[in-house]
Amino acid sequence: MKKRIISLLLSISMLATAGFTSCGKKSAKSATANDPHTIVIWHDKEDAVTDVLKKKLKTLEPDVKVVLEKKSDLTESLKMVGNDPNSAPDMYIFAHDKIGVYAEMGILEPITNLISKDDLSKFMDSTVEAATYKGKVYQMPLYYETLLFMYNRLYMKDEEVPKTTEELYSYMKENTGGGHYGFAEQHSTPYYATVWINGFGEKILSKDGKAKLNTKKVKEALTYHKKFVELQPGETEYATVNTLFSEGKAHSTIAGPWMIPTVKEKGMDVGIAPMPVIDETQKSLSPYMGVQGVQVLKNAVKTKKASIKKVLKVLMDPDVEIDLAKASGCAPAQNACYDQDEIKNDNVVMMMKQTADNAVPMPNAPEMDVMWTVLGNLMTDINLSNKDIDESLKNAQAKADSLIKSMK
Amino acid sequence: MKDRKYNTLKCYLWSLPSLVLILLIVIFPIIYTGYISLTNMNVYHWTNYSFIGLENYKDAILVFDSGFIKAFVMTVIWTVTSMILQLVIAYVLASLLNVRGLKARNIYKTFLIFPWAMPGYVSILLWKTGMFNSQFGLLNQWMNKLGLTAAKWLNSDWSAFWCCTIVNLWLALPFMITIIDGALQSIDHSFYESAILDGANWFERTVYITIPMIKPIIGPSVVITIFTTFKQFDVIYLLTQQVGAKTGANIHTIMTYAYENAFITNNYGYSSAISILIFVILILFTVVINRRQKERSV
Repeated sequence: MKKRIISLLLSISMLATAGFTSCGKKSAKSATANDPHTIVIWHDKEDAVTDVLKKKLKTLEPDVKVVLEKKSDLTESLKMVGNDPNSAPDMYIFAHDKIGVYAEMGILEPITNLISKDDLSKFMDSTVEAATYKGKVYQMPLYYETLLFMYNRLYMKDEEVPKTTEELYSYMKENTGGGHYGFAEQHSTPYYATVWINGFGEKILSKDGKAKLNTKKVKEALTYHKKFVELQPGETEYATVNTLFSEGKAHSTIAGPWMIPTVKEKGMDVGIAPMPVIDETQKSLSPYMGVQGVQVLKNAVKTKKASIKKVLKVLMDPDVEIDLAKASGCAPAQNACYDQDEIKNDNVVMMMKQTADNAVPMPNAPEMDVMWTVLGNLMTDINLSNKDIDESLKNAQAKADSLIKSMK
Repeated sequence: MKDRKYNTLKCYLWSLPSLVLILLIVIFPIIYTGYISLTNMNVYHWTNYSFIGLENYKDAILVFDSGFIKAFVMTVIWTVTSMILQLVIAYVLASLLNVRGLKARNIYKTFLIFPWAMPGYVSILLWKTGMFNSQFGLLNQWMNKLGLTAAKWLNSDWSAFWCCTIVNLWLALPFMITIIDGALQSIDHSFYESAILDGANWFERTVYITIPMIKPIIGPSVVITIFTTFKQFDVIYLLTQQVGAKTGANIHTIMTYAYENAFITNNYGYSSAISILIFVILILFTVVINRRQKERSV
């Protein structure tokens, strides 16, 4: 009898726990869902960025309370709950490249329904272009990032900084060996490899979502790039390349601005220079530009439009972007910020602005999701498995076409 | 008769909470995946998806191309190799743990079980950067000390396969050692004493006493491990295929192949159809193994 009672109690407590857990979660979310004065913003940013945002958003209280919630799997979580007002956030801060996916899913509100055209015109054209999908603007930009050419002044003097890719190649030949590399990049990682493809004037995905891999320009770019790969480490991943640079084993690299605090902490005298010009095309290496900004969910607008407008208005203040630049080296998205001395004197931000002039906004079409994998495989086939370039391009094109077809 | 019916009903009633949980956690996702596989649910039809019959299955069959067949063969080789190595190594280590008079047995057991305590994701990435990395990995540090040329362990299919197998062994051995250790302890020592009196050597005792007696105990664990190894994704993906960290090796199991050819498309109908087909393959595999086991026991 005793055993029966214990097992009954255990069964009840198990079911009750399961029930309470799900109810508990739901009630916490639904409390904010029904409160027009509480705005939940999901993000995946570091503390330096959120501290600036929190401080500014605090000024809205008690009228509007903003809760910033960090989500490491933000993109997947949004796919799961984007349509559910009880679980989804009201807004989120993320790069522009997922806009196409969420716009097609129908969960995003065009930002032009919440801010005026005059307000939007304050932002750099390239950032607004990045936030536009099928003619509608879905993001209010905050800042943008591009990859930068960085060098360690201990090894590469300012006068040695290569202005062209051939100068870079000569430097690599002279300085690679004995555990040192003249230059190291994530050569077979798609985000970094596109720096070379863009520099040859090709876009791997057309505006209408068609893959462009088996083209003359991509072939030229990857053939030319390969000789640089041969003088670099066999690994292409973030940790290896960044450690080589931060440990002083690689004299120069192409990396994001997020790398700078790490190397400065290690005492490196790091220099930042314009991207080398490709001798073959006379265009500089062109990285992708990622625009970080605020997106608003459709469901939230139905019940919280007034509060959302207030949040956007506060975040539109150029001081926010200037503070972000000072705190985390983010390049402001508003033109007016570049008239301020604080920004003009920031070498990293100004170099990013210069690089952004030649940068290509990262495509925001949903098809880009499959292109990352296909391009990654293509780069690996050519650079690490030494497969024939023509054959690899042909296979990659066929694979991309088939995967894009499978998306629909 | 009435009592029997009452007892049966009572058994089901007592099991009801567990059955409900199993239904929610195991059965419902399978049924729901089956339902999604019959719709056109994808990024372009997220909420307005509709029933499209077996269209996704027609497309999914195309994934089962020559690449899939190659991945399937690779999966079988991977499973067989891993299982043989796991059973042999686990048996040897468990036998050593059961040597009479062994001191500090529990300390050895704790060390051997350690890989189980670490999250698999962390273990795999530690092996990747800490051991196999061509610049900083321990293996190449040793090679350098010995005056040998540094190797790119994960770049070629052959060496990447063995690296993946080693990591899989590291992750899976604690479970198998624990099971075999328990099975060995359950054998009555009088069997061995009689065999020794009859003049049986170590090999004969192993073949005629130990293995037949532990077989029924470790059987279910072996079947579970076969399936875990067969549908292994993490080890191969994280060591060789992760986007942004590909190594040049082109080894695929059916899971990594399906991921690269379907799941990245955000087409949930199509991906669900492929999941259901892989599920059917695994079910067929189970039926074959069960039938073989029954035949052997007869």
